[in-house]
Amino acid sequence: MANVSESLPEKAGHGEHAHAHPSFLQHHFDTPAQQFNASKLGMWIFIATEILMFGGLFCAYAIWRGLEPDIFDQSHHFLNKIMGATNTVVLLFSSLTAALAVRSSQLGKRDQTSIYLVITILCAVVFLVVKYFEYAHKFHLGLLPGHCFGHPYFSAAIQNGHEVGTCLRIHSDETPGSPLWVRAIDESGHEQLLPPRANMFFAIYFVMTGLHAVHVVIGMSILTWVLVKNIRGRFSKEYFTPVDLGALYWHLVDLVWIYLFPLLYLVGKPD
Amino acid sequence: MATESHQPPSASAVDAHTGHDAGHDHGDDDGAVHVHIASTQFYVGIFVALVCLTILTVKVSYYDFGAANVIVALLIATTKAGLVATFFMHLRHDKLFNTLTFLAAFLFLAIFIVFTYDDLGRRGQVDNDYGGTIDPKTGLAAPGGLPATTATINDVEGEPPAGPATTPAGGEKKE
Repeated sequence: MANVSESLPEKAGHGEHAHAHPSFLQHHFDTPAQQFNASKLGMWIFIATEILMFGGLFCAYAIWRGLEPDIFDQSHHFLNKIMGATNTVVLLFSSLTAALAVRSSQLGKRDQTSIYLVITILCAVVFLVVKYFEYAHKFHLGLLPGHCFGHPYFSAAIQNGHEVGTCLRIHSDETPGSPLWVRAIDESGHEQLLPPRANMFFAIYFVMTGLHAVHVVIGMSILTWVLVKNIRGRFSKEYFTPVDLGALYWHLVDLVWIYLFPLLYLVGKPD
Repeated sequence: MATESHQPPSASAVDAHTGHDAGHDHGDDDGAVHVHIASTQFYVGIFVALVCLTILTVKVSYYDFGAANVIVALLIATTKAGLVATFFMHLRHDKLFNTLTFLAAFLFLAIFIVFTYDDLGRRGQVDNDYGGTIDPKTGLAAPGGLPATTATINDVEGEPPAGPATTPAGGEKKE
């Protein structure tokens, strides 16, 4: 310990002498590289926790799909593959522009960084707009989990033949208390008869894509904050950590969607 | 080591204090941030590959591989995720420990899903509530628990209502 306390003053003196102490370098780091590596490691640990958070939902998906493969197969025809694929490409493109924003920042090209960040944020808006149309269509059909599926526990008011959205609700027999089946037209124009428990598919669909959409909104906010700081000239070739970490978050949003898209929209028997 | 080598008088003091510079990566030597910067064309190339894989995964979804549908979709998705993580997220030129952190998340996710799945699949062998028995050969019932039920999901939900629907529920869909 004595050795440490003796060497501390000299260490401080040396640090100032060897490296100009830049304004972005916080006092508890020796060098910009140390600060950068610490930030990156922190971000990767955060990304790991995010994966585990989504992991709970992927686990639920795996269990439910294993229990009811036919329900998932039947229900996934209510998702529009083309819109899902469009959104995938939009997100991939936004990932590209995010990576290019980091590259420009690494090269110290401030204006270019701003342009790439703006494009990334605009892509996020496009993604949410497409998502809005997808959600709105399902609301219109009445394919929301819970009472829309006419479980008598939730919907004493929904009577036989009553319409929620545009789907027809029908009892499986004459017993008024029995659950309601849902007759609806899917994305390929086929009439489908969904059992009451099909709401499990729409529950996992709305929760997974909903949590992902929340991440899109958070990602947009982070990138906007990075954009403002970039315009104010806070970043340079020597210090671009926030741009890098903001982009990492955005890539995470992309990664989650890369798995959500096939699992929800694509796997199942084709028409 | 090279960091302090141009400062001989204080180098030994720093070594004694921190004792960490011997293990430094080359990039840390002057204390500044050094990163690999790929070209714009390279990033665009990765993007094009990702779009091609997206088109591929949509195209193959129109073919039925049965149980392999999920595997094919997940293989393509994992390839895409690998490209994004390796190049867009710079793991290729980043510290190895960051990659390990990232992969550790998937390891624990796999443990989570596999163990849960296994539990669910075998619970019927020990838990009478799920209509199972301890030993399928002897038919010995599990101790405790409620009497075994023979109710199936269709007893609860009923048979599909009669009507012009072309698609009967429960997986006997014919198209």
